[in-house]
Amino acid sequence: MSANNKGFWTPANIITAVIFAFGLLVTVLRFTKGLSSVTNLDQNNPWGFWIGFDLLCGVVLAAGGYTTSAACYLFGLKKYHSAVRPAILTAFLGYSLVVFALLYDVGRPYRLVYPIFYQPGTTSFLYEVGLCVFLYVSTLAVEFSPALFEWLGMKKVRNAITKLTLPLTVFGVILSTLHQSSLGALYITVPSKLHPLWYSPYLAVLFFVSSIPAGLSMVIFEGTLAHKAWHNMMDDTFNAEHDGVILGFSRGAAMSLAAYFCVKVVALAYDNNWHYLATGWGAWWLLEVVGFVLIPSLMYAIGSREKNIPLIKWAAVMTVFGIILNRLNVGLIAFNWQLPSSARYFPSFLEIAFSIFVVTLGVTLYRFIVSRMPIFFEHPDYKDAH
Amino acid sequence: MEFYVYHDFMLHTKNIVYILMGLFVLGFWGFWAFMISRDEEIHKFPEHDKE
Repeated sequence: MSANNKGFWTPANIITAVIFAFGLLVTVLRFTKGLSSVTNLDQNNPWGFWIGFDLLCGVVLAAGGYTTSAACYLFGLKKYHSAVRPAILTAFLGYSLVVFALLYDVGRPYRLVYPIFYQPGTTSFLYEVGLCVFLYVSTLAVEFSPALFEWLGMKKVRNAITKLTLPLTVFGVILSTLHQSSLGALYITVPSKLHPLWYSPYLAVLFFVSSIPAGLSMVIFEGTLAHKAWHNMMDDTFNAEHDGVILGFSRGAAMSLAAYFCVKVVALAYDNNWHYLATGWGAWWLLEVVGFVLIPSLMYAIGSREKNIPLIKWAAVMTVFGIILNRLNVGLIAFNWQLPSSARYFPSFLEIAFSIFVVTLGVTLYRFIVSRMPIFFEHPDYKDAH
Repeated sequence: MEFYVYHDFMLHTKNIVYILMGLFVLGFWGFWAFMISRDEEIHKFPEHDKE
């Protein structure tokens, strides 16, 4: 690779090293002096930036795994096959890092397995989210493993696992439907804390519906970045299918974003919350829903109609940003909105540094894997296997 | 608008939601029609087109 010729201490690697140093600092402080040494969490705000960003955003942006594999294997759209492995890899890394970040955020991380193996709280949404994420990470690990076994040359194991592709995809879609919606349902329990514009009895529907355009947009966004960084590693099939994936996914994203916009407005109408739109919170809600849901939906539609790939890529960036904004609004910004500003939560520097560390760790692992394993190309031994 | 009982509230909001849903269905149809309007036509009966 060309990076090896420049030596190890490239600007990107130096920045990564600095971020990792902060990550190490947070790790030491968190596990020696407790949560209060690194976070601004308190009794009013027990869930902060690590839940709002690392978990809520991490899970929704990893939705590309189930949307892409469902499109390819369940709906039979084989023309998107080249997008499946990168999407599964992103989902696997995304979910693994959600669990990794949760180890820091949970007061007693060694008890993370308790709800699954010791004390299942079967009436709790949090139990359902925990169980689904646990099962889905395992499913994604198995879905991703053929690439690993191809790299390691373990043909028999690889061939055995690929036979499970269809049931694994079905299982993954079921689990994703369950926990994407349950993450929203968690906030149904706090009607007095979440601002009425974001609170809705339909939060579960809103979270699930928004995960579909988020996943599709992440595949487009990540594919665009990957094409810039690893274009030389991609085989002819991958390069030939790239524009088709973008155009096809842009239609799915346009329609699902439009559906999400409709559900948002219906949720507003059901609770008769129109009068809040005339407030400052209303302006913020309109920015999110019009600026980062309706406009990207129209951009996708126009881009798809005119075959305008750059417009579609910008729509993907705006959608990803909009979904992140929505999760931060629900988890942080509009949460405890009625408290005086002195009691409001703002993440500490180390909380933000840790989240940057988690994202950087994900990018580093992604780089490590795609530069070694057959993600952007078909392994020469399995050319006719699909 | 004032609501004296919960039924009034539900009637009001449901009325609006049903109207919105009707508009959204029409909107979806228009949105989809707009998006595919430049697609190449699929000729199911090419021999018929020649006539």
